[in-house]
Amino acid sequence: MTQAAAHDPSHSPMGMPLPNGKLAMWLFLVTEIMFFTALIGTYLILRSSVPHDHPVIKWPTPHDVHLSEPAGAINTFVLILSSLTVVLAHYAATKGNFKNATMYILVTTLLGFVFMGIKAWEYKEKISHDILPGKVGELVPGMGLNREKQFHQVGMQYVERVRGQLTHYEEKLTKMVETDTGKALANVTHADIENKKITKGTKAAYLLLTKLKPEGVINKDAQQVVTSYDSPLSPAEIGGAVNDLMHDNPDIHLSPAIPFGNMWASCYFAMTGFHALHVLGGIVIFGVISLIGLMGKLGPQHTNMLEVTGLYWHFVDIVWIFLFPLLYLV
Amino acid sequence: MADSQAHGDHHGNLFPIYMSIAGALAVCTAASFIVNQMVGGHVLTAMVGFLLILSVAIIKAFLVGYIFMHLKWDWNLLYFIIIPAFVLGLMMVIILLPDTVIGPSRDAAEAIAISNEFTKELTEKP
Repeated sequence: MTQAAAHDPSHSPMGMPLPNGKLAMWLFLVTEIMFFTALIGTYLILRSSVPHDHPVIKWPTPHDVHLSEPAGAINTFVLILSSLTVVLAHYAATKGNFKNATMYILVTTLLGFVFMGIKAWEYKEKISHDILPGKVGELVPGMGLNREKQFHQVGMQYVERVRGQLTHYEEKLTKMVETDTGKALANVTHADIENKKITKGTKAAYLLLTKLKPEGVINKDAQQVVTSYDSPLSPAEIGGAVNDLMHDNPDIHLSPAIPFGNMWASCYFAMTGFHALHVLGGIVIFGVISLIGLMGKLGPQHTNMLEVTGLYWHFVDIVWIFLFPLLYLV
Repeated sequence: MADSQAHGDHHGNLFPIYMSIAGALAVCTAASFIVNQMVGGHVLTAMVGFLLILSVAIIKAFLVGYIFMHLKWDWNLLYFIIIPAFVLGLMMVIILLPDTVIGPSRDAAEAIAISNEFTKELTEKP
């Protein structure tokens, strides 16, 4: 048995010279290793099954999904710094300097909040661009008929969603087309749209307004599920038009069309979400320890606890050390 | 516990070690970010960049584990717990190799098979 030497170690010939808490924390950490290995392993499988050399059918780049690599790098620095402060807190405690230990734990808690703050900003970016599992269009021009047929259902859902979103922007888009062509929307002809002076965004706006909006274009079954549409635009073309429109007009927010975007979003939110929950747990514990320290009650009896929570925090840091390159860099 | 206080004293002044490891970690992070920029600027190929970045990540994880998590001192007491987790992790990678390796070509073949079925349906209908 691993009996912690509550008394002097030299009087306990049995057991490991290791505190119970430390052994227990390591046992917990290896189960967490398996947990994150499963998540990361799944991500690697899914990602490696996507073609590398196709011009359009490829895993989204960070730019495609509004992922900020600098934000990820800053978060990495924040966690590394917080790992340092937590180990220095334990070190200060072993030297009997509990004031310093409290200070280091306070800094660690603060850095945890910084990490969560940056993560919250990143999530806001995704949510505001509708890059969420199930919300992203999968088809863009250049994908080929095979893929369009494969993603038929998803394409239908996407068309319906974009149609609903367009109603909010109808006035704005109409004004855009009319200003750029100099004609009322009803009088705009194909020749006006193919004019070189017309921006891609305006062309896309025109296509979406005229080819997607009409009510009779969408066919639904008895359960109000979209079964087909009579639009001359395919879901891929609609996806392309939406992307062009949003590229030229960043203030318009429609669901983007990103090949493998839903898969990317699922992986991203699963991995970073679980990691963020672990960070949150750590922050709660460090907050409690900070309070104990601020009340002046931190003492030698807490040294083990500091080491053990430090172990947990270092594990969280190590997970992020792998998540950052796998999600943001490669 | 008195045990761990003595435990800490045995290792002397750890402060400079902790600070230098933290500095090394920061340098490693900056290095992987720079390698990523180089891949983006086509100075390095994606594969070389991936291998470099992954190696840096493994080095960082090792440094955190070895020094910050005190494994340098506690390894003999904890290896029996930690090693099996990595064995299981390695087993998972090996078991999943068929999926990672043949993934893209398998999916392409599947896509072609599906499209052939569609075409057959469309052409066979009266």
